[in-house]
Amino acid sequence: MVLENEPIPFGDWIAPALLFFLQAAGILALLALVGGYLIAAFRYGPLDGGDRVFRFLKRGLGDLIALSPRRVMALAWLAVQESLRRRVLVGFGVFLLILLFAGWFLDTDSNDPATLYISFVLTATTYLVLLMALFLSVFSLPADIKNKTIHTVVTKPVRPGEIVLGRIIGFSLIGTMLLALMGVFSYFFVVRLLNHTHEVEVASLEPLPGGSSDQRAGRTEPEHSHRHEVTLEADGTGSTNTVNGHWHEIDPVEDGDETRYVLGPPRGMFNARVPEYGELRFRDRSGAAVSRGINVGNEWKYRSFIEGATLAAAVWRFDGITPERYGDSLPIEMTVRVFRSHKGDIEQPIRGTLKLRNPRNIGIESAVEVFQAKDGTVNPIEIPRKLTTPEGRTIDLFEDLAPEGELEIEMQCLDSGQYFGVAKADLYLRARDASFQVNFIKGFLGIWVRMLLVTSLGVMFSTFLSGPVAMLATLAALVLGTSTGFIFDVAAGTVEGGGPAESFIRLVQQKNVTVQLEPGLTTDVVKAADVVFMAVMTSVTSLLPDFGQFDSVEYVAHGYDIPPDLLLVQVLSGVGFVIAMFAIGYFFLRMREVAR
Amino acid sequence: MPPDVVVETQNLTKVYRDFWGRRKVRALRALDMEIRRGEIFGLLGPNGSGKTTTIKLLLGLLFPTSGKALVFGRDATDVSKNERIGYLPEESYLYRFLNAEETLDFYGRLFDMPAKVRRERAAELITLVGLNKDKRRQLKEYSKGMARRIGLAQAMINDPDFILLDEPTSGLDPIGTREIKDLIIRLKEQGKTVLMSSHLLADVQDVCDRIAILHQGELKELGRVDSLLKLRDETEIRARGLSAEAQAEIRAVIERHQGNVLMMDNPTTTLEDLFLSIVRDSEARPGRRARPEEEK
Ligand SMILES: Nc1ncnc2c1ncn2[C@@H]1O[C@H](COP(=O)(O)OP(=O)(O)OP(=O)(O)O)[C@@H](O)[C@H]1O
Ligand SMILES: [Mg+2]
Repeated sequence: MVLENEPIPFGDWIAPALLFFLQAAGILALLALVGGYLIAAFRYGPLDGGDRVFRFLKRGLGDLIALSPRRVMALAWLAVQESLRRRVLVGFGVFLLILLFAGWFLDTDSNDPATLYISFVLTATTYLVLLMALFLSVFSLPADIKNKTIHTVVTKPVRPGEIVLGRIIGFSLIGTMLLALMGVFSYFFVVRLLNHTHEVEVASLEPLPGGSSDQRAGRTEPEHSHRHEVTLEADGTGSTNTVNGHWHEIDPVEDGDETRYVLGPPRGMFNARVPEYGELRFRDRSGAAVSRGINVGNEWKYRSFIEGATLAAAVWRFDGITPERYGDSLPIEMTVRVFRSHKGDIEQPIRGTLKLRNPRNIGIESAVEVFQAKDGTVNPIEIPRKLTTPEGRTIDLFEDLAPEGELEIEMQCLDSGQYFGVAKADLYLRARDASFQVNFIKGFLGIWVRMLLVTSLGVMFSTFLSGPVAMLATLAALVLGTSTGFIFDVAAGTVEGGGPAESFIRLVQQKNVTVQLEPGLTTDVVKAADVVFMAVMTSVTSLLPDFGQFDSVEYVAHGYDIPPDLLLVQVLSGVGFVIAMFAIGYFFLRMREVAR
Repeated sequence: MPPDVVVETQNLTKVYRDFWGRRKVRALRALDMEIRRGEIFGLLGPNGSGKTTTIKLLLGLLFPTSGKALVFGRDATDVSKNERIGYLPEESYLYRFLNAEETLDFYGRLFDMPAKVRRERAAELITLVGLNKDKRRQLKEYSKGMARRIGLAQAMINDPDFILLDEPTSGLDPIGTREIKDLIIRLKEQGKTVLMSSHLLADVQDVCDRIAILHQGELKELGRVDSLLKLRDETEIRARGLSAEAQAEIRAVIERHQGNVLMMDNPTTTLEDLFLSIVRDSEARPGRRARPEEEK
């Protein structure tokens, strides 16, 4: 996986996030209070108005205390019944249909079918569940008000907050149930469709050249559009090489007087790697230490670049390198982005080198190992325990290079005029693997949190908007929440073409985004309008959760363990958001004359 | 407010406005009234006179434009008063996808009643409103009268002290109407307070202690039913076995005293009475069509 953002550690996130939450809540509450008082004072006079606001607050507190789990669950149960009545299960049917046809159009030829399949099912699940959450949450309360069924409910001792909360919980229960079903089906879909074995092509077996006398090598028959090379030991057991992200074990089976070689199920296809990250420093072309490398343009901001055939280098420093943890070799995986300043020989990959060094004793280092960079793909390298120095002396990885458990890995680019781009997370130690199944569930938890966000957002809007309008509002919030980065960029003026008004003018006048608008009154007005637009949009956006942060599909699909910190951040921001939606929904529902 | 006053409105006014805040209808003007504990209070008036509006204001479903509505001494918009009230809406606004049992269980849970109490109460009420046969059917299959019955049961789930019934007899057959009227009178005997609206004068006359007559949002009449209905300057004469001569004689006597005869006739029983006696007969002797005349 090529990360484009580094996940924030939970410890760094929680304090500012909590502060932001409290700030936003405080400001919103203050605005509501002042606005409420002004309206009340205007309608009932300053004294009576103040009294009304005070009673409103007092009763709000009372309502919170009187919140009854039984009532909330009754309303949640009603929401569940309503959803079932509205045939949510059809959504699940659609999902099964999608899975059924997915087998046809998903490409088993792909050189990473697991990634393709997993990201497909997770994405399909996400869209379906979010769509369903949207439809359920947004139409329920307006329909209840329109049918006047709400009249018999609010004339019971039901607090407005219970109506909001009951709906959020009810629809989330339905969503959870659907997600669980989809999760189970997705899992078996992926595992079953990618499961396969091969026959060993017995005729191809020959003594292994250069191997010990009774080892044999050959290949398998093709299956799922690929075949493997096989290596068999004297006793007939063996293994295949890794193709399309997996390999097989081989066992001999006596069948009468011949021996057949049977391949097991694919191995190593579904992973949940737990990367161990180090600290990254750079050296510039003259070899001086710098904190960042070269910037080759905005699109590439996340990574720093080192120039080929100079002294420029990227240096990672790792901790905790012990034989207890890593055994006989150090598995590292790396990704580089290649930036060519000239075409060079386009057929030839750009080459780079890796070197290991003892950070406490600069003199002790390994000889360079040359690698060929494939742009943006993960390249696994197994570093053996016994290494040689540039002078040809044998050294031990743990004893000589990392006696204190600390190790530096230095990367350089060999080809002149070409650049390697790297970030901290691009070279890591693959310390261990977590369970894929658990990771799969964690991925679904990310979808679950998003479902919760959409549901609470939809219910909140439906307390004061009609169904279709609430749906549009929720969709708008989703779009804003998914494109936070872009919106802040537009507001900062770093995006060509300006804000919505200017873009509209450009669209109508068929002007390219880089063409200067004619100076004059119209242009000034348009630009001023955009300033207002963007002020509103940024303030709304900054209140919305960044939806991108809940997307952990990539992690699961590319076989990386979802960091527990990320999961915690997701769940906590989800819960915080639901609380906020609950409060706003309560406010609007209480202000509302439901019998109108 | 004295403890035996259940409802008090002061200058209660409701103006419906459209989305832009422009006035559309003045549905209720400066209503002042009181409902005391243990009485059956009738709201009367033609269609659109503001009966439903008044009830919704008392329930806090609408907010008053000006004036005040107090229920049990608390502001009508205060949710906690709902613990002690029951409400039957004008039409049965219930969840059509639930059956009768589920409906009562759901509303019982809204009163935070434990499961056992809910079950007992639901069974009791279903029997009371006569829906035992149909308790497992979804409400969307119910006829109007059946929906009315389950609506009534729903309004009594919490054994309320004060019951608001918006046109309780609409959509009911004459037996149902009679049953409801009997039920209302029974509730009064249990010390409950009832507010009912209707434009069927006969219903109101039968059960209500006091009535208010609304017309175009204004209170026209308020008082005890018996005193309102007593027409002091009319006399009704009913007799049996008079000959034509005797009738002419009585007519002459009235005319001598400067009265004019409005009606003197063999009185007939009302249609309602007739219908009821037929149905009662057929219930007593099922399977056979009641033909009272043939028997004689
Ligand atoms: N939601 C509303 N918006 C606007 N006007 C309304 C609304 N509800 C009622 N009205 C108006 O208020 C007036 C009183 O209506 P209300 O429903 O209280 O009458 P009612 O006495 O209950 O009549 P009915 O016997 O037909 O039930 C009517 O003129 C009606 O049109
Ligand atoms: Mg009415």
